[in-house]
Amino acid sequence: MSSVFRYRELIRNLVFKDLKLKYRDSTFGFLWSLANPLLVISVYSFVFGHLLPVGVERFPYFLMIGILAWNFFAQSLMMSTGSILDNGNLIRKVAVPMEVFPVATVLFNLAQYLLALVVLFPLAFVFFGVLPSWSWLAFFPILALHVLFTLGACFVVATATVFYRDVRHFTEILLMLLFWLTPIIYDIRSITPSLQSVIYLNPITFFTLGYQNVLYYNIFPSFQEVAVLTLLTVLMMVTGYAVFVRLKPRFAEEV
Amino acid sequence: MKSQVIGIFHKRFREERETLWALKGVTFDIRSGEALGLIGRNGSGKSTLLKIIAGIYSPSSGQVRLSNPRVGTMIELGVGFHPELTGEENIYLGASIYGLSRKEVDKIYPEVVAFSELDSFMDTSIKNYSSGMQARLGFALAVNLDPDILLVDEVLAVGDEAFQRKCMARMEQFRSAGKTIVFVSHSPEDVRRICDRACVLDFGSMVFLGKTGEAIDRYHALLGAA
Repeated sequence: MSSVFRYRELIRNLVFKDLKLKYRDSTFGFLWSLANPLLVISVYSFVFGHLLPVGVERFPYFLMIGILAWNFFAQSLMMSTGSILDNGNLIRKVAVPMEVFPVATVLFNLAQYLLALVVLFPLAFVFFGVLPSWSWLAFFPILALHVLFTLGACFVVATATVFYRDVRHFTEILLMLLFWLTPIIYDIRSITPSLQSVIYLNPITFFTLGYQNVLYYNIFPSFQEVAVLTLLTVLMMVTGYAVFVRLKPRFAEEV
Repeated sequence: MKSQVIGIFHKRFREERETLWALKGVTFDIRSGEALGLIGRNGSGKSTLLKIIAGIYSPSSGQVRLSNPRVGTMIELGVGFHPELTGEENIYLGASIYGLSRKEVDKIYPEVVAFSELDSFMDTSIKNYSSGMQARLGFALAVNLDPDILLVDEVLAVGDEAFQRKCMARMEQFRSAGKTIVFVSHSPEDVRRICDRACVLDFGSMVFLGKTGEAIDRYHALLGAA
């Protein structure tokens, strides 16, 4: 991992390359990345706020927290299927520490996530009178854990896709399933205990609840909640990185 | 300063019913400041060997020992360049792929631009460059990375004659500066110009290692026999 630090300039360049290429020559530029979450929030707000009400106050704001965090995770994971594979041309020609590619993928999506938050929070203030609270400070440690957890998952997906291209399709389906198994568009307290136990099998649930606690309910996470998040992050990161390191000597031949 | 490259290589590609050894039992050492040519027919394992020395492939068995870690690879010019980015952006991106920091790139940037003779095109996306211009930018970057061990694979086959002459001159400059070079080429002329010694590979085995002239004769004999 120390080589990742030495190659920080490369990581920086990879992230900026993706950001530049995404918005260069488009008139509305970054606004396009807001179009997707805004549309999703509007549609779900209408469907689950009016047609089939789930009974959450300030529902669009509640949705916004879950959806932006979900998008960060899901888009990182989808993009990581190509982290190694799509850089095959480079990996076959230069000896480069391959960790930089999943790291760049996650940082690129983190940048999008943070930009979206910066733009959407003022909207939440205007429309729903959302005001900052001290508990928002806990957002940052949760985010840090979430980023590392996501990176661990991306290591697994990036590695697996090199050997089985099917992983790309599988990940897409899995993410769709996980989305509904995460309490993003419903409040976990509103469902039956037996269903809750299923939702708690999904590790993403704990991160979503963490965000909701600090940003929506304005309460600091409990010690247990932090412990669970830390444990999940460490497990994911250790597993993901171990898989990656074990198989990376074969990447150049397989891509 | 003594720099050595010692290697014993075995490279096996995928286990199939019958194992195909891309390289088998290749062993040699290169002293600091020496230029070694690798010649052989297509598929003889030259590029695989180069990639093993570069650390891109890991050998199935055996090892590479480098006394100097600054290895520069010119296996292909302009690795990592993106067509939509400008010349300047590509220099920064391309150099960072070799682990250079921003400051280090700032330092070599003027030389890269000067060598490429493309100063008026630095703000243009390289998709608008001709292939010769792209090659010039790639080569200009590669030679200015200033490695201690330079691995070169057939890159001189691009560009016009004037550019090729410039590249060869630069390689000779590297030689006289006491850098170590491993040079893969199909052109006996180029190998003769650059290398003191050459290694002839055939079907992954080393069939000859010695004076460049003799190596080239050996290579021609192989071609004649085929």
